[in-house]
Amino acid sequence: MSVAFNIMLWPLIACLLLPGILVYYGLHIVKREIIFVDLALAQVAALGMCLALLLKHEPQDWQTYAWSLGFTFVGAAIFTLTRTEDHRVPQEALIGIVYVVAAAMGILLLSRSAEGDEELKRTLVGDILLVQPGEVFRAFSLYAVVGAIHIAFRKQFLMLSFEPERAAAQGMSVRGWDFLFYILFGFVVTSFVHIGGVLMIFSYLIVPAVCANLLAQTFKLKLLIGWLTATLASIVGLWISYQNDLPTGASIVCALGAALLLVMGAARMGRSGARGSSPAR
Amino acid sequence: MKRISSVIAGISGALLFGAICQSAFAKLNVVATTEDFGSIATAIGGDQVSVTTLAKPTEDPHFVDAKPSFILRLNRADAVVEGGAELEIGWLPALLDQARNPKLAAGAPGHIACSAGVQLLEVPATLDRSKGDIHAAGNPHYLTDPANARIVAQHIADGFSALDPKSAGLFQSNLKKFTSQLDARIAEWDKLLAPFRGQQVVAYHDSWPYFAHHFGLRIELFLEPKPGIPPTPVHLAEVITQMRSEHIHAILLEPYQNSKTAQTVAADTGATVVAVAQFPGGVKGTEAGYVELMDSDVRALAKALSAGTRSAP
Repeated sequence: MSVAFNIMLWPLIACLLLPGILVYYGLHIVKREIIFVDLALAQVAALGMCLALLLKHEPQDWQTYAWSLGFTFVGAAIFTLTRTEDHRVPQEALIGIVYVVAAAMGILLLSRSAEGDEELKRTLVGDILLVQPGEVFRAFSLYAVVGAIHIAFRKQFLMLSFEPERAAAQGMSVRGWDFLFYILFGFVVTSFVHIGGVLMIFSYLIVPAVCANLLAQTFKLKLLIGWLTATLASIVGLWISYQNDLPTGASIVCALGAALLLVMGAARMGRSGARGSSPAR
Repeated sequence: MKRISSVIAGISGALLFGAICQSAFAKLNVVATTEDFGSIATAIGGDQVSVTTLAKPTEDPHFVDAKPSFILRLNRADAVVEGGAELEIGWLPALLDQARNPKLAAGAPGHIACSAGVQLLEVPATLDRSKGDIHAAGNPHYLTDPANARIVAQHIADGFSALDPKSAGLFQSNLKKFTSQLDARIAEWDKLLAPFRGQQVVAYHDSWPYFAHHFGLRIELFLEPKPGIPPTPVHLAEVITQMRSEHIHAILLEPYQNSKTAQTVAADTGATVVAVAQFPGGVKGTEAGYVELMDSDVRALAKALSAGTRSAP
């Protein structure tokens, strides 16, 4: 047991500390119905990384991170500008296009570079099992700052996602706040992609938020349920990975999927029970 | 009830594990990175050593996916046998970090890097990403020259002897046995490939310079435009033209490389795709060890080259 604990200790710490902010962002993103925005931003960040590698920076250099972040900001700007009332083009379509084009451009760039291929693969699948304590600390301090900004301006950010009409009516600069929202999100995505990969970040964002929406009404309760889901699924995923010697990141993703199934079952039972006693909702 | 039975299972598992540890106490617990080093380590260590290998023989040794058991095995190992020369640089250092086993620290007697003492080829004068996936220390695929297996075996025997001096006699006699077997086979292989000295062979990746050097072949044309970069249409067209004009009859293909690319080029040039491997078990029937693997590689290539020579005008 102690051996298992030693081996899985840092992945466990990472999975307990880091998804907190992702669950919070997930609630925003599910409400805004821009589910694939994180995939797109992650891919844009990876594209920045590819370019940095082509410019002969090493994957660990700060320049690589800067390129990655710079690209993410461009992506954030695109998403801010495309949150329009023009219903002929749903924003989800543009997000999908950004994802696909960024992925294709990454392939074009990497055809001229060698080790970047390996790095890009790592971006997709991640390496949570071999996460270094330093990486966890760096990511956590970054998330603490992002979290603090969100707490300080919680009124604005919540209104922006949950009551956009009221925000506009009150004369809030929706574009400006939106841009800040995406910029902060870009920081979070870029740093977590380096640790957990695209699959994991997507699962941590969306699955707990969907579970929470199925079970709760208020934002606070949703956040609590989301955190609980993420934590339990992380522990179960890590345990499955250790017991059966399976790739760690994929195990956690599947554990999150299983959690959603359970919650859906529970929600359905709860709803039919409620229907028996009183009219639905 | 369930909890009790799982506790019982846990306790009996722990006892069983303890018993295994007890009986295995005298044995050196060795982890090898790839199967070629693993099989030589087994040949040298005999029953005084238990060897497990991390990478599957069909896996690209440059990219190996980490699993929890890798850390566990490294954590409990008395020694790690690695190729060195940056072969495992993408995955082993992080695993060793995580395993926190002082016995395997760089420079410790439990860390056996086999490349020491091997004359490495293709050591780059300058390091430059634009040239592809280049290794600073030189090409790490040195075990494709069977003569280098002698050096590696000697190295492993010395390493094991330092860790377990009581069994040094056994290791040395196993070394002698391995080396004399190898020498006999090398003479055989040299004879088999002697008629094709100076001939050109194409490979997917630049993993065969040592093989070429030993057998006097020329393996200078690759399906990859640069090491680690997937084949591009223009480069393949150049390869095909050159293969036609210089009558090249064989393409070496390893298990983890794209066989479609190789088959397409072969169909266009009338050449044969030769399934070879660097790791025992990478090609069917070579699971027994390094000597069996080299034998399979040499015979497969000799067959393809003699067929090509016969069909040529």
